[in-house]
Amino acid sequence: MNSVLTIARREIFSFFVSPIAYVVLTVWLLFFGIVFYILALVFAQQAGASETNLLTAFFGGTTLFYLPLLVFAPVMTMRLLAEERAAGTIEPLLTAPVSELAIVLGKYLAALTFWCALWLPTLLYVWLVARSGQHVVDWGAIGSTYLGLFAVGMLYMAVGLLMSAIARNQIVAAMLTFMVLGGLFVIGLAGYANVGDEMRAVFEYVGLWTQMAAFAKGIVDTRYLVYDLSVVVVSLFLSVQALQTDRGV
Amino acid sequence: MIEVENLTKRYTDRTAVKGISFSVRKGEIIGFLGPNGAGKSTTLRMLTGYLQPTEGSIRVGGVDAVRDSIGARRFIGYLPESVPLYREMRVVEYLRYRARLKDVPRSQVASRVDHVLGLANIGDVKQRIIGQLSKGYRSRVGLADALVADPPLLVLDEPTAGLDPNQIRQVRDLIRSLAGEKTIMLSTHILPEVESTCSRVLIINKGQLVGEGPPHALRGAETGGHIFVLEVRGEASAIEARVGAQPGVRRVLGSDTLEAGTGPGEAPLQRVRFEVEQATVVEALSLELARAGHALRELHREQTSLEDVFASLTTREHVESAEPTPVATEAS
Repeated sequence: MNSVLTIARREIFSFFVSPIAYVVLTVWLLFFGIVFYILALVFAQQAGASETNLLTAFFGGTTLFYLPLLVFAPVMTMRLLAEERAAGTIEPLLTAPVSELAIVLGKYLAALTFWCALWLPTLLYVWLVARSGQHVVDWGAIGSTYLGLFAVGMLYMAVGLLMSAIARNQIVAAMLTFMVLGGLFVIGLAGYANVGDEMRAVFEYVGLWTQMAAFAKGIVDTRYLVYDLSVVVVSLFLSVQALQTDRGV
Repeated sequence: MIEVENLTKRYTDRTAVKGISFSVRKGEIIGFLGPNGAGKSTTLRMLTGYLQPTEGSIRVGGVDAVRDSIGARRFIGYLPESVPLYREMRVVEYLRYRARLKDVPRSQVASRVDHVLGLANIGDVKQRIIGQLSKGYRSRVGLADALVADPPLLVLDEPTAGLDPNQIRQVRDLIRSLAGEKTIMLSTHILPEVESTCSRVLIINKGQLVGEGPPHALRGAETGGHIFVLEVRGEASAIEARVGAQPGVRRVLGSDTLEAGTGPGEAPLQRVRFEVEQATVVEALSLELARAGHALRELHREQTSLEDVFASLTTREHVESAEPTPVATEAS
C-alpha cells in the first residue's frame, strides 16, 4: 500500500511538472468555458421553455461533452506506463521490491487524481448557476453528477492505463485509447439507429451517454456502476498481466 | 550470496543465456566479462528480478529469486546498463522517491539520501534536474540509487560506461571502498577495471561461461606463464644459439635486433623471446650470458594481458596461433 502511494505521488508530481498537464488543463478550461457560455446563452434565450436544466445539459447532455473527453483522456493516460517502457525507467521500477499490482494501482490512482483535477474547476460553473438564480440547483443532482463523472473517469482512466501498458510508446498508447473509447462512444450512438429495443439497451449501456445523462439528472443507477467497475477490474488485471509478460513471466 | 544453477533464458528466436551456473560468496567482487551480446545484461537482469528465467534457479541471500522475486530484490541494489532515470526530477527528489520505494523507514530516508549523495560524490548537484546533468553525473545518481537502501549485494551493469578517466577512477575507488562490506557483481568490457577491482572473474560468451577465476590465475592458465623476454648485446645467431642450448629452455619463440652496435667492437642489442620449463632456468641462463661477455639490459617475464585471455576465451582461438612463428631452431 505504501508503495502504491509512493508511485502515485511521483506520477502526479511528474505530470504536473510536465508541459502536457498545463496544455491539457488550459485547453480543457477554455473549451468547456466556451461550451458553458454557449449553453447558458441558449438557455437564456429560451428561458423557462426547456424542461432540462443548464447543468444537466452541460454535464453529458451534448456531444460537446464527450468528444473532447475522447481526446483528453488518451492524452492524460498515454504516458503512464508507455513512457516508463520507452525511457527504460521501467527497469529500476520493476527491480525495486514492489509488485506489478502495486505499480498498476499507483499509476491508476495518479490518473484518477488528474481526472479529478480537471473537473474541479467546473464547480465554479455550479456556483455561478446557483448564484444567478435563473435555475434551481438540485444539490442532490449535482452530487450524482459528480459521482457519474467520477465513474466515467474510472472507466476512461482504466482503459487508458491498459493501453499504455500494452503500447510500445506514448503515441501508440494514445491512439489505442482513442480508438477504444471512441469505439464505445460510437456503439452508444448506434443505439439511435433502428436496431430494436433489446440491442438498443445493450448499446446504450456500453456507450456512456445514457449513463452520464442519468447521473446528471440525479438518477444513480447502480447497474451502470457495476459496468464501470467491471471494465476497471478487467483493465487493471490485464495491465498487471502486460507488465508480467514484459518480464517473461 | 548468489547461487545460480543452470540459468537459461530463451526467447522465441534465440537463446540468450544457455544453462550457466556459478556462485558468489559474501564479500566478493565479481567481474562479469563478455563481448557485447554475450548475455551479460540478460543474466544480470534475471538476477535482479527484471526478467524471469526460462529455466534454472537463482538464490540471492538464501531467497529463491524465481519464486519470491520481491523478497530477493530487497537484497539487491541494481544499476541498469543505460542508467534510466526520471529526467524531470531533481536528484534529491529522485533518491528520496527510490528510498521510499525500497522501504527505507521514513525516519531514515533523509539521512540515507545524504549519505549516498556523499558516497557517490554528487552532493553539489543534488538540487539539479536530472535531465540537465552530464552522463557522468547521471551514472553516479544511478549508483547512489543502487546504494540508497544499503543492500548487501550490488549488481552494477557497466558502471563506468561513458565516464571520463577521472570519473572512472572515482567510481572504481568507490567500488573498492565498498569491498568487504558488500558483495559486488559488476559487468564490464574494460579489462583494466577488472584487474584493479575484482577478486574473481566470470567470462561469458554466447550465453555460456567460458572462464572463471581470479584475474591473475586466468592470465597464467591460458599461457603457462613461462615466457620470458631477454634484451642482451651480441650477434643474433650467437645469442639464439646460446639461449636455445641452455638446459630447461623449451624453445626460442623469436628474436629481433633492437639497435646496431654504436662504437667499434660493440655488439648489436638483441631481443629474444623464449619459453622455459620453470623460472629457475632463467637464473642459470643469466649467469651463462654474463660469463660469455653478453651485456644484459633487460630480462623479464612476459605478462599476458587479460585482453589476450579474454580474446582467446571468447574467440576460441588458441593464444599461440596469434604469435609469431617460432624461428629459433632453424637459425643456428
